[in-house]
Amino acid sequence: MRQTVVDRWMLIIAVILAAIAAVQGARYVHRGSRSRWTVLWMLFCFIAQLTVLSIRGEMRASCPLGDTGEVLIFSAWSLTMFYMAVGSVYRLSLLGVFTAPLVCFLLSLALMPGLLEVDPERKTVVDGWRESHAAFSVLAYGALGLAAVAGVMFIVLNRQLKEAHMDTGLFANLPPARELSKVVKRLLLLGFGLLTLGLVCGLVMEKTGAANKHLYVALGQWAAYAALVVLEWRRGMPPRKLAMAAVLLFALSLMIFPLIN
Amino acid sequence: MGLNHETAPVEVREHFAVSENQLGSKARELTELSTIAEGVVISTCNRMEVYVAAEDRQVGLEVLQQHLSQGHDQKEMEHLYSKCGDEAKRHLFGLVCGLDSMVLGETEIFGQVKHAYKQALEAGATKGFLNRLFQKSFAVGKRIRTHTRIQVGATSVGNVAVDLAEKIFGKLHGSHVMVIGAGETSRLVAQSMISRGASKLTVTNRSQERATALADELDGDVVPFDSWEEVLVQVDVVVSSTGSPEPVLHAAQIEAVRRKRKFRPLFLIDIAVPRDIDSKAGEIEEVYLYDIDTLQQLASVARESRAKQVQLCEQMIAEEIDQTS
Repeated sequence: MRQTVVDRWMLIIAVILAAIAAVQGARYVHRGSRSRWTVLWMLFCFIAQLTVLSIRGEMRASCPLGDTGEVLIFSAWSLTMFYMAVGSVYRLSLLGVFTAPLVCFLLSLALMPGLLEVDPERKTVVDGWRESHAAFSVLAYGALGLAAVAGVMFIVLNRQLKEAHMDTGLFANLPPARELSKVVKRLLLLGFGLLTLGLVCGLVMEKTGAANKHLYVALGQWAAYAALVVLEWRRGMPPRKLAMAAVLLFALSLMIFPLIN
Repeated sequence: MGLNHETAPVEVREHFAVSENQLGSKARELTELSTIAEGVVISTCNRMEVYVAAEDRQVGLEVLQQHLSQGHDQKEMEHLYSKCGDEAKRHLFGLVCGLDSMVLGETEIFGQVKHAYKQALEAGATKGFLNRLFQKSFAVGKRIRTHTRIQVGATSVGNVAVDLAEKIFGKLHGSHVMVIGAGETSRLVAQSMISRGASKLTVTNRSQERATALADELDGDVVPFDSWEEVLVQVDVVVSSTGSPEPVLHAAQIEAVRRKRKFRPLFLIDIAVPRDIDSKAGEIEEVYLYDIDTLQQLASVARESRAKQVQLCEQMIAEEIDQTS
């Protein structure tokens, strides 16, 4: 089978696995119990995404970040990777139930016609700075995306605590508010660090005609996250405000995504 | 055969109570009675029950009754109940599931029955029949805990407060609790927090003497009533139950220390009537305020939810008894 067909089939499998994780996880939460399968589905989804990216990398003979579809898959992969790393440490199994729909959405977008080149151009000369810039930036998107997911979880829990709605399955399965707030802070810091590395590589790499607009947008995004991280570090912030800022900034980052790309 | 909190008052229960380290020897004594082959004695603050396997049901019952009547008058003996065959099995299975407990669905009884059985086993008072019966009861207890919601939710104000604290802070290790007003309910809530790991307790009260007594009992510190605001920067949980007709903790006092607290979550439990904490304090983002009505309502919801599970539990127990018969 040709590689272009295999990568699409693997992508479809990844979408299905993320959808199963999301739907099954939500059903468990509704019943008030914890889904032990979410981590497993997400692990299989991660492997499928990794397979797609390795096929695309082989086709391009470089980092698979050459078109919008690949950037979307790389972002979903990065999000899943941080979930696997952070989720197991903090035992936030419910994080998977919240992450899976976002991963499913990103991967489904990548399947839309025209976003994933059928026959990507094989590169003969590879610019290391450009490749690093793209890779660090997309990894940053993963960490910041997961910070936003944890932020949504915090907002939901905070509302339930404030309104004393404690008889729901969701409430029973959400991790403690202080833990969620810590996760948001740490992921924001990690995402900001990766974004900074991506920006530094971007400043050093060889520029093309459209690079200026891309650079200004990326600088604006970096400055917004820098302001948030510094504000939290120097002055502290109410956890709900921090969570909302993490969600809003990531939503904004997704909206300016076409401009950056 | 036995008695419990529903059939006997505490002054009768305490006469029948058996100390924890004598459960095995008392069970062994039962097996020395005529026709009784095996025995287990369970004794908790709410009940004393003996389970025996006898060769002849009627004779066994009479012998047991006679044995238990030693040292007790007829009036006390009237509080005892007796069950045989499947009825006794149903009782034991319900007991380990907490269906017969004062707090429906509580889990402590499971451990207490297990301990009593272990003592009897080690004393050589159980053989094939009671061994199978008690092992089965533990399996039923586990099954019911897994497949029903009989133990879900906190059913007392103290436990609701602790569950909420854990939902806000995670583990309570390292948490600092301040008690304003050294009343009985404050003591119970503070005690629950400490039992779940809260590491520091500060007590303040208009009467310094009562504050010192509570602090000594719970190994905490005392701050004078006119300077407790200084501690507000450090604490994670405030339990308030003074008799003051006006609020003692206002939103402005919390606003004043928010920056110094670095916007850390603050859990406020107001168990006073009239209320001690200004309701506007609950509007501050990182403040979680619950008054006595909210806590009681949450406890009552959990109790109702447990009560709804009883029928399901009884059905599962009936299925298990059918299988064993």
